[in-house]
Amino acid sequence: MLLILDRHNGIPAYRQIMDQVKFQIAAGKLQAGESLPSTRALAEQLAINPMTISKAYSLLEHEGVLERRPGMPLVVSSGSGNGQPQARREQLREHLAPAAVQALQLGASPEEACEVFKELLANHHKQGNTET
Amino acid sequence: MNNPPIVTQGLSKHFGKIAALQDLSLEIPDGSVTGLVGRNGSGKSTLMRLITGLYLASNGECRTLGEPAGKLSSENLSRIGYLDQEAKYLDWLTVRDHLDYVASFYPQWDKSLESRLLRELELSQGTRVGALSPGNRQKLGILIAVCHRPDLILLDEPASALDPIVREQVLDFLMGLLVDTTRTIVVSSHILHDVERLVDQVVCIEQGRLLANLSLDELQESYAEWRITARHGALPNSFTEPYVLEAHVNGQQARLIVQKPEAIRDAFIEHHNVDISERALTLEQIFPWLLKKSA
Repeated sequence: MLLILDRHNGIPAYRQIMDQVKFQIAAGKLQAGESLPSTRALAEQLAINPMTISKAYSLLEHEGVLERRPGMPLVVSSGSGNGQPQARREQLREHLAPAAVQALQLGASPEEACEVFKELLANHHKQGNTET
Repeated sequence: MNNPPIVTQGLSKHFGKIAALQDLSLEIPDGSVTGLVGRNGSGKSTLMRLITGLYLASNGECRTLGEPAGKLSSENLSRIGYLDQEAKYLDWLTVRDHLDYVASFYPQWDKSLESRLLRELELSQGTRVGALSPGNRQKLGILIAVCHRPDLILLDEPASALDPIVREQVLDFLMGLLVDTTRTIVVSSHILHDVERLVDQVVCIEQGRLLANLSLDELQESYAEWRITARHGALPNSFTEPYVLEAHVNGQQARLIVQKPEAIRDAFIEHHNVDISERALTLEQIFPWLLKKSA
């Protein structure tokens, strides 16, 4: 699991960890039942306090994304919706919400904004196809 | 969770008529990495010296590792690692000899940590301490503060003399090695950019008084920048809500600095009929508001 923290963007580290774990689950990169790195290992990797990792992990557990079994490493919960359309949609919504507000602030109509978004998707898709 | 390793109660320190610290009461939680922040001359180093017993309190009390800081037992002293900003070293010794000299005081001196740090920090062992550059002198100070694997580490401006290019590298590496649930670290710095990278707890002092003692998470979640646009017509000329700390209004658009954004966002949108783009603030951007709150 590759997590990258930006410690200078003003977003609390535990939040960034939670968001990235959820993103990887929704993208199907982390499978149900797959175990997460120990608090200690991840703390060392990210050079942050293990308590910050614990905080992120227990909040994710509380949200039902992760599951703890006694004596075992934390695993992605089977109810986490990994790779499922619903989890994916939720992630998309979260990531697109700021763009939607900015489109409104620009005075773009919903149709115009959707058109641009479709264009961007088509472009990326095309680039992806020529690369492979 | 163990008892807090540092507890102060009404702690004050006067130098003649000058009050360097006034009525400071705080606890530093066990296992935390605490950033001690404040402007130059705010009392950060004074507090560090009171914690280590180098200064005695004029009033109030400081307990370090459960003991009065002025009367620390040698056992507890050996559990403390301290990098003083004005540390004196034995200039005529080589780096190697100096480390051996310090190590002789500590049976628990960690040789392998020492050689790892020497290598990573690129500190040459044969150089005489007096011939070290300010940056390398500071690196030697870091080694002396941490190689006996203390439970409580106090680093007073550990990166002030380091080259800005290697500073982040050195600090990240150091934290990667040291951060541990059983070890408490206090780092003072006026470079908020460094503090933001490293700490999870922030203690802010200004003119010898405690302004804030809270987690970095809380602090980061307490403030935000909003760029707002009116959905119809113009925005009001000013915003009177107490949580709006600053507002620059320009017709239909405004930039606000707000407190507790999470709690008030929805009501604000509805009441003013606006769209909000929110941005998090860095510690550097938050800091002036902490200072203003106290004024």
